[in-house]
Amino acid sequence: MKTLYPYLLFLVAVSLFSCEKDDATTTDRTLYLRHKGADMPIWVRGNRTANKLVLFLHGGPGDCAMCYRHYLKGLENDIAVAYWDQRIAGSSSGKVDVKTLTYEQFGEDAYYVVKLLKEQYPNTRIYLVAHSFGVELAWQFLTTNDNQKLVSGLIAVNGTFSTYRWLVQMREWVLREARQQKNTEIEKYVEAHPITAENLGTYEWPELYKRMLDLNGNPVSIYDDKKFVLNYLFASPNTALAQFSHPKAYTEYGETTIRGYDRSAFLKNIQIPVALFWGKKDGVVPIEIGQETRDLLTKTAPSFVTFEQSYHEPFMTETDRFVSEVLKFVR
Amino acid sequence: MKRSFYVISGLLALAVLLILPAPEATAQQLRVAYFGETVTHYGLKVAYEHPLISRTITRNSARKEFLFTPGLAVYNHPDNHVGVIVSPELAYQRSGRRGGVFEVSLSNSYFRYFLAGQTFEVDETGGFRRVRMAGRGAYLPTVSVGFGQDLSIRKNRSLAWYARLNLMQQRPYNASTLMRFGIECGIRKPLKNK
Repeated sequence: MKTLYPYLLFLVAVSLFSCEKDDATTTDRTLYLRHKGADMPIWVRGNRTANKLVLFLHGGPGDCAMCYRHYLKGLENDIAVAYWDQRIAGSSSGKVDVKTLTYEQFGEDAYYVVKLLKEQYPNTRIYLVAHSFGVELAWQFLTTNDNQKLVSGLIAVNGTFSTYRWLVQMREWVLREARQQKNTEIEKYVEAHPITAENLGTYEWPELYKRMLDLNGNPVSIYDDKKFVLNYLFASPNTALAQFSHPKAYTEYGETTIRGYDRSAFLKNIQIPVALFWGKKDGVVPIEIGQETRDLLTKTAPSFVTFEQSYHEPFMTETDRFVSEVLKFVR
Repeated sequence: MKRSFYVISGLLALAVLLILPAPEATAQQLRVAYFGETVTHYGLKVAYEHPLISRTITRNSARKEFLFTPGLAVYNHPDNHVGVIVSPELAYQRSGRRGGVFEVSLSNSYFRYFLAGQTFEVDETGGFRRVRMAGRGAYLPTVSVGFGQDLSIRKNRSLAWYARLNLMQQRPYNASTLMRFGIECGIRKPLKNK
């Protein structure tokens, strides 16, 4: 056994340091943030010459960041991209208490991720590209303390600032589509289940969500993309089966925590540049939420980019345009 | 409580190895195998096979054995972690008349992984503390199913090849557990020629 130790240590050392590359022009690094039980990977890839870095805030909660590199890789030719897997998401590991799955904790994690990136990449401007739940996380982060001063801008992609407003707009979308598609069963269900601020705590939102999907609110699945699946299994650092272990940790979040999320009163304090990217056909977070977001951002002048052929993930369905719009924003 | 269970069962398995002599000293074998989640998450496994009970059925010359197979596997999941698995394994193996081998095994493995990147822990002041060789330990109960061919029977070579699938459950993993799978393909070599 003793004779094996040198070989073992050699393999560990080679694996840990062989692929790291970081110079004035290119970065290819893997960092981990350890905080409150979670070991969260941050893979930083791309071009450093512009001194600009995009931090991708993935959705879910419980989704993954690096898995979407397949679609965001085009950014890396011009800027650096940091793919961060949040706690109990993607390839994050550790021993994590589900009680930490709160917006406050996600916001705090984001703060330390940004702080760590600023330390590791000094003189680099950091932009957030947030998708779906990542947008909720971004608003939580940006509207806490002076955090917005840490970053140079936000691109919010199909995500909300308030659970209540999200459900109101999703219900409107479902009702409209049910009528257009002449689905009387769903129409009657939605009419019989109005949402109000008073019933938000008990509203059966997963039932509404299911009907939204039945009406083709988001027919796009990454698993239909064979190239994505092959890349995910064989060429990405993701932990293959981890995605299936995360959802059960979010039971309490889905039943309680999500209902209390509302940052609408704080959006008026945002002063950094913001762009709202929206897949127009999305039923998950309808485009009306984007319009409400724009109206609440009174101290900045948000730009609005509509992806006509896209649903909830415009970077999947209109990849080239998405990449070029992100680059246009950070320039 | 769980930890005590694993420690005690591990010690018992070790005691079995130390107390029981091998029925046939020549049947002890060394396994060397490729081990990994996929071809891109590659590694190496070395194990020692120690027969506990061996019985040959006269009718068809099939041999049935219970083996104790302590092993060590090391693999690299690039940009994610380096994993080390210590597996005190109990296996049932059946070798047919023509050399075909089938086996199933159970193991109460210990898993230690090292994160494949610089790790920074948030300290009490809100700053960062660098953690060297960061990683964690976990238990890894494992079920394996495999097949192979004993080349000593038809080709008169004291060598066997085998392949098997390992289903492993890492616990704890975040707030619950994680299913892992590992493929293992390698050779078995008797420690002494038969």
